[in-house]
Amino acid sequence: MAARLGPRAVSGSPVGRRWRRLRRDPMRVVTFLALLAVSGVMFYPFVFMVLNSLRSEQQYLNGHGFSTASWGELFRALPVGTELLNSTLVCGAAIAIILTCATGAGFAFAKLRFRRQTIIFLLIIGSMMVPVQAIIIPEYVNLATVHLVNNYLSAILVYAALGTPFATFLMTAFFSGLPDELIEAGLCDGMSHRGAFFRVALPMAKPALATVAVLQFIQIWDDLLVGLLFLQEPTNRTITVGLGVLSSGRVVSVPVLMAGSLISALPAVAIYLFFQRYLVSGLTLGVNR
Amino acid sequence: MAGMLPTTTSAPVTQDRPQLAAPGAPAATPRPRPRRSGLQRARTRNSLVLTIPALIVVVGLLLLPIGEAVYYSMTNWNGLTAQWVGPSTYLALFENPAFWQVLENNGLLLCSVPIAILVPLGIAALLHEHVFAWRLFRSVIFLPTAVSWVVIGMVAARAFAPGGAVNQILGALGLRMLEIDFLGHQYSALAAVAITFIWSMVGTNTIIFLTGMSTIDPSIYEAARLDGAGRLGTFVWVTVPLLRRYLQFGFVITMITAFTALFSLIFIMTGGGPGYGTTTLGSSCTSRPSRTASSAPAR
Repeated sequence: MAARLGPRAVSGSPVGRRWRRLRRDPMRVVTFLALLAVSGVMFYPFVFMVLNSLRSEQQYLNGHGFSTASWGELFRALPVGTELLNSTLVCGAAIAIILTCATGAGFAFAKLRFRRQTIIFLLIIGSMMVPVQAIIIPEYVNLATVHLVNNYLSAILVYAALGTPFATFLMTAFFSGLPDELIEAGLCDGMSHRGAFFRVALPMAKPALATVAVLQFIQIWDDLLVGLLFLQEPTNRTITVGLGVLSSGRVVSVPVLMAGSLISALPAVAIYLFFQRYLVSGLTLGVNR
Repeated sequence: MAGMLPTTTSAPVTQDRPQLAAPGAPAATPRPRPRRSGLQRARTRNSLVLTIPALIVVVGLLLLPIGEAVYYSMTNWNGLTAQWVGPSTYLALFENPAFWQVLENNGLLLCSVPIAILVPLGIAALLHEHVFAWRLFRSVIFLPTAVSWVVIGMVAARAFAPGGAVNQILGALGLRMLEIDFLGHQYSALAAVAITFIWSMVGTNTIIFLTGMSTIDPSIYEAARLDGAGRLGTFVWVTVPLLRRYLQFGFVITMITAFTALFSLIFIMTGGGPGYGTTTLGSSCTSRPSRTASSAPAR
């Protein structure tokens, strides 16, 4: 790569080198400008949210002037703190269940041969295709008969069930990538299967666990339908549900909605940027099977 | 194919054998059971212990309700008591013109799936040139994937409204006659939902394809260049075939999203309207009960 640039371009930081190459090659300038345009389109909602959340209703309609009035109104209209806490609680508990189920099952599918393995695997992976809308009403009735509706537990269970198939798929893909010899070496040294799972496979699976946790966090944090149905009390709504209810309610002030959108989007975006590496590897784990 | 022939012809023979052997040779065991060692049994036991949590969650909370959904769809159900009516609900559904419109909407929205593959493919190709600040561009393009459909839908609804960003851009381009209230008419509202859907799939698909491109050996490009392939030729004949598995994966992810996640987008952007204009099968599950008193209550 460096040979094509000539001796002058080799020196300097990679960024400086890219900048110099960019100035020399007209095709690269076009590419740069195209990417700039695409990024502008992708970033537009964030600009829109920030700008308009800093306006009052009147200023939004006029199109000029800034104030923090809408933020104050948001905190009056929506128990933001409680809802953020609810979201965190529901996400955390559901992810804990998902990880417990998915790591065990993934390890068994990938590293232990047992009878009826294929059918159980297909049963779990196939339920990835179950659409939420089709099961949501019978699910509600089922959970209502065991008196679980309208508390966190119902939403946590439903989220856990919806996330488990895909998480199991990813964990199976990950454990398949581990060499069999590792597990066999553990067994030869006198470990039980359980020991091999807890002391050999699980510590190695930390990156995969992080991937699954981040993917599921964003899914659950951003979900509307399940929360809308199972968390109907205003006190145990998640932030996304609170926002959904606010946007379909009587008071529709765009700046207030934008302030709320920003608040609900920020945690997921922060997690996303922070764990970007894990997400990329998680998305492509599914390809290598 | 040739290998299958002997097994099919010998199948009746193996079926007959026990009948012939049974009266004459009572000592013959019916089927030799494979002996299983202690390690194997331990493995089976541990496998079950490890898979049972996942199995319980999936069977109890996903497969049971889907079975119930199929059963209750054949009954006259009010949430408490069910009375068997057979497939008549389906027949009524097929006679309902709204159902066909909803199905048509689903079909039209699915047409956006190829575009939601091709656009990110192009963007991934641009990113793969590794121009100045490409990592920053990658992060920005990836960013909207973290935002919920509720937020995307709310911003998109404002963008497509009269006086919103889309109409302003059309006006600035001198296409003032195209300025309409996008969400106010069936097909333009569907187009608005489709565009928003494509927009929100760009992040995920671009990253998948970009990762795929980074796995391609650069020497293949070198060989293509030496053989005289141009930029476009290399892309179509080298990059795309080598990305096949990644393209398949992106397609599956996009399809699943189109079927499941569009609900929130439509709920926020149009509420299924105007009329049944943008209602899909998914969103009709939750909106129909509130509109027609005769069907089963939703709550």
